Amino acid sequence: MGSGERGPAATAVLIAILLVLVPLMGLHLLGSVGLSVYLVNVVGQVMCFALLAMSVDLMWGGAGVLSLGHGLFFAIGGYLSAMHLLRTAFAKTHVLPDFLQFMGQTRFPAYWHLFDSLPLTLLAILLIPGVVAFVFGFVSFRSRVNGVYFSIITQALTYTAMLLMFRNDTGFGGNNGMTGFHAVAGLPVGGAGAAVLLTTLSTLAVLVALVGGRLLITTRFGRMLVAIRDDEPRLRFLGYDTLWLKLSAWCLSAMVAAVAGALYVPQVGIINPSLLDPSLSLEIAVWVAVGGRGGFYGAIIGAVLVNVVKFWLSAAAPSLWPFVLSLLVLLVVLVLPNGLTDLSNRSRSWMADLGRGLRDSGRRRPERGAG
Amino acid sequence: MTSATHIAVAVEALVVSFGNFKALDELFFTAAYGEVRGVIGPNGAGKTTLLDVLTGRSSASSGRVTLDGELDLTRMNEVQLALSGIGRKFQKPSVFEALTVWENLDLACRRHRRSLLREVFSTAEAKDSEAVATVLERIGLQRHRNARAATLSHGQKQWLEIGMVLAQEPKVLLLDEPVAGMSDDETIETAALVRSLRGPHRAIVVVEHDMEFVEQIADSVTVMHEGKTLFEGSMQNARADHRVLDVYLGR
Repeated sequence: MGSGERGPAATAVLIAILLVLVPLMGLHLLGSVGLSVYLVNVVGQVMCFALLAMSVDLMWGGAGVLSLGHGLFFAIGGYLSAMHLLRTAFAKTHVLPDFLQFMGQTRFPAYWHLFDSLPLTLLAILLIPGVVAFVFGFVSFRSRVNGVYFSIITQALTYTAMLLMFRNDTGFGGNNGMTGFHAVAGLPVGGAGAAVLLTTLSTLAVLVALVGGRLLITTRFGRMLVAIRDDEPRLRFLGYDTLWLKLSAWCLSAMVAAVAGALYVPQVGIINPSLLDPSLSLEIAVWVAVGGRGGFYGAIIGAVLVNVVKFWLSAAAPSLWPFVLSLLVLLVVLVLPNGLTDLSNRSRSWMADLGRGLRDSGRRRPERGAG
Repeated sequence: MTSATHIAVAVEALVVSFGNFKALDELFFTAAYGEVRGVIGPNGAGKTTLLDVLTGRSSASSGRVTLDGELDLTRMNEVQLALSGIGRKFQKPSVFEALTVWENLDLACRRHRRSLLREVFSTAEAKDSEAVATVLERIGLQRHRNARAATLSHGQKQWLEIGMVLAQEPKVLLLDEPVAGMSDDETIETAALVRSLRGPHRAIVVVEHDMEFVEQIADSVTVMHEGKTLFEGSMQNARADHRVLDVYLGR
């Protein structure tokens, strides 16, 4: 607890870093200053993960509801974004995507034409995950499914979606997924322009979510969420129908996750059902737990830290990654129950102890000064 | 309000059964405006079950529960019950630990009872802060208004929760063992607090083990035993009643 006091300072630092990051990427376009395309791309992907972690933190840190299935909303956003990219690619090349050809189709199914339009796609990216989250959340929260039971059901939901998307008949590319994107906003996919654009957008999205999220948790709604986390029955006995409070936060969280997915897919150039694998959804919880729940800055720091290590290890020593991840989980569970937030709390109390010790040593107990 | 409608909440032939066990067995109970009603009885008498039905935590198997003689309470859920004027303080202090004392009371003080949406987007007006300040003064926690509820002592948390229920402006105020785990001094203060809460538009029901405490605060008592009303009347008469003595002292 106590994330409130340090929140604003940590948030300000994060905002400053993000604001510096944006022009740094832009500089690359002008010359050799700044980051390489590969690094810009890595930053962009990590930013998407940070946004995804924030969406989980809204529910977990905010309302005490742990989702182990946010990969679902991330993937929905990703698939919708991929559909738009495939339609725009088709408009240029007039070549039907591989997976449709394999299925013996000669043209896109009719509803794909909706995704010609960028505004309609953006609307779908918010609306479809919102509706899925609403239906699932309504049923679960109304039946008062809470705690680990809710977490397990979210996991099952994601797993079900993965099995569904693995099927070729579902019509979204099955096992292989969708790839072969051509351009993003006219900039060729994989090029420096697209990378800078997408990374800038992702960073700005994190920035907006951070500022918006910080504002949200200071409102009456934010306090209601905290009340749900602390003692949901008490809030209900005060006359608040917590179903609607939880449901609105849940739907908002799903939409943020979908935006992250929609930004992520053009950066990696492919989407397949592996995003729906429960292991990704579990990993998001690890990011948030490592950084510290509540207040969003912990989620960002955790997501960035874990993923930077992952990117580095997956090049340097890929087989080590599961062990490093497990170690991180153990460390958080055993030593830092509130993630890195605890570390800053502790260093503070250590500093305070040290200060007190030094003061005391001046008076009577010199040996305490050491510790 | 006319003098004829004195009864706030009336329970008639209420049965609550869990499987074959009847926690409440044809219970009759009333609480009137302006009084503090003590409910005592040995463990398992059904005192807390009565409060559970009144607040929607348990549902009635049969019987009637009415508020102001008309509103049927057995068909409502806990949110509707809270909004129609039933407030409950739980045995174990239930406050929002991460919020400050002020924020706890402010949440309890609904600004728009009809609409949750308006509640979410409401901004505090002068009268809202005044209402919170009044409650804060009542429960004597002014000095702790900006303290997180987690930092309060056990007794202070109990008072805060009483204050939260008070902020709901309930017609029926249910207190489940309000002095459990309190020191002697805190118990005396709580007794004074509960007495001061009496009002013409409020019925107060206190469930308690501590006979001394009930004697200090209650205008009348209901003695429950095995889901039934054993005795109703003044505490003095309750002490003299041989059935009550049998139940409390063993047969």
